Amino acid sequence: MSKVKFFIEQSWLLIVAALLFGVLLAGAQTGLNPRIKANEEKKLSDSMKMLITDANHFELVAEDVEIPTGKKVVLSDVYRGVTQSGDIAGYAFIAEGAGFADKIRLVIATDVGFTRYMGYKVMFSNETPGFGDKVKNDFYSQQYVGAPIQRLELAKAGDNLVIDQRIVAISGATVSSDAVIKIFNTFGRKIKSQLQAQGVIQ
Amino acid sequence: MSDISTPALGPTFTAGFWKENPVLRLLLGMCPTLAVTAALKPALTMGCCVIFVLTCSNIVVSLMRNLLKPHLRILMFTLTIATFVTIADLILKAFAADMSAALGPYVPLIIVNCIIICRAEACASKNGLVVSVIDALGMGLGFTMTLCVLAGIREVLSTGKLMEVSVMPSAFVPWAAMGMPVGAFITLGLMLGLVNIIAKKTS
Amino acid sequence: MDTLNTLLLGFISIVLINNLVLTKFLGICPFLGVSGRIDMAFGMGMAVTFVVTLSGILTWMIDHFLLMPFGLEVMRYVCFILVIAGAVQLVEMYVRKFFPPLYESFGIFLPLITTNCAILGLCLFINLWEINSLLEASVLSFGAGVGFTMAICIMAGIRENLNLVDVPQCFRGAPITLITAGLLTMAFMGFSGMIK
Repeated sequence: MSKVKFFIEQSWLLIVAALLFGVLLAGAQTGLNPRIKANEEKKLSDSMKMLITDANHFELVAEDVEIPTGKKVVLSDVYRGVTQSGDIAGYAFIAEGAGFADKIRLVIATDVGFTRYMGYKVMFSNETPGFGDKVKNDFYSQQYVGAPIQRLELAKAGDNLVIDQRIVAISGATVSSDAVIKIFNTFGRKIKSQLQAQGVIQ
Repeated sequence: MSDISTPALGPTFTAGFWKENPVLRLLLGMCPTLAVTAALKPALTMGCCVIFVLTCSNIVVSLMRNLLKPHLRILMFTLTIATFVTIADLILKAFAADMSAALGPYVPLIIVNCIIICRAEACASKNGLVVSVIDALGMGLGFTMTLCVLAGIREVLSTGKLMEVSVMPSAFVPWAAMGMPVGAFITLGLMLGLVNIIAKKTS
Repeated sequence: MDTLNTLLLGFISIVLINNLVLTKFLGICPFLGVSGRIDMAFGMGMAVTFVVTLSGILTWMIDHFLLMPFGLEVMRYVCFILVIAGAVQLVEMYVRKFFPPLYESFGIFLPLITTNCAILGLCLFINLWEINSLLEASVLSFGAGVGFTMAICIMAGIRENLNLVDVPQCFRGAPITLITAGLLTMAFMGFSGMIK
């Protein structure tokens, strides 16, 4: 009994403090969690709104679609942009792949008929600043707006204003440029066939 | 409850800026200094987080300084600091989500930031509440200042912009290396050397 | 075979390409402090490797079997740092009992490993990279330790030579070490992109 008493005598402050801190953390967590969740959702819907400008709000049409990408299976969510009058404005889905340094996570938008891409926004990337990071810039990302949903190719040189399946790479960042193209090629047609199988699009 | 000698508040506050600047003189807290100073905004955010955690932990440690058992004190410090860092991380995620994503794992690394544990050990566990708070603010502000100077230099040279406002003439070709680890190490090394020169000249 | 491939690539990547000290800025304090001599640096590296492997495995298990199933992610940082402190304490007791001369030579450094950013940093990176297998987590932890040891020993070798050269007075110690580290980082940049 005296051993237990000695133990408690030595560490009562630790135990009390641990309990108090636990309560403090639980309080902070419950207080701030809804706001944190709202932030995440807002980031996604803001990006999608920038790509599909006509859309008023977005509906989830397919959740956790499994797309195998080499090493791992990525779960993608597909959203449908709906205008104020109820018409479909376009589709958007999450895509992910390996970049130069770390993974690259994009939200890709397509038009109503799922025939052309409407561009992408980078949700997460850790590419080399000044080089691979330029995949976020308009020079590179605008080439995807209007590009056909077929196999895209990387071109080392060319006119970046001509919209077709040839994408001009960022000079000094070929690997990052190619990574984005690979993500488009892996996800674009697979998501399209998945939606066709589900009867969402023709 | 009475301390042997209460240090004067003024010198305690200003010590953190130059004489005992945590990064430049005491060589503590190097890891976040190099990691988040690629741009000014993350550096400022990190500085604010450190000030928050340092002040809160100094307050708590100072309040319980007479109850601490000697061999458990490091554990107590660590527990306190970890709690406040978690809270700071949650606040950051809730109110500044893009900064939280930019700083990434370096916010929880404030737990092992030597500055906070050293100040808790050296100052808060031996002094009253007011002195501890002043010391925390001084050290925190000194740290933030150093971080901002380093980040400012690195951002201007690596992108020609400061907080997304162009400051360099358009003919300037950005030094991309400044945004990478190379630039971080070399700039900090040169800053330390400069500080040593100035310290030597003024002493 | 595929698993072995992933493990091997993961190991090489964390030792060379994503080296914790030179690319992720972790463990700088001991990197500057202990890299004076190669034998001390190697000893520190070995201690860190042991602690980081143990911590990586333990924190992964706690995260996946205790925190995530019960939704206790908010306790993550507190749990991690307590596990690391416990692991360091364990190593200290073990070394003191079985290798007393080694314990003497370590001095203050062993308890200081607790505040080594590299260990907590690695546990957090394993969390961030969403590593889902215990085997991969343990290989990465071991690799992190090896990478740290390698970086600190290279630095120690360079610093031993720097002692013989005429460095300006105000740059001796930390400044020249940092500049050297910068050049070392630049050299290691050549490894990036090696593995896709």
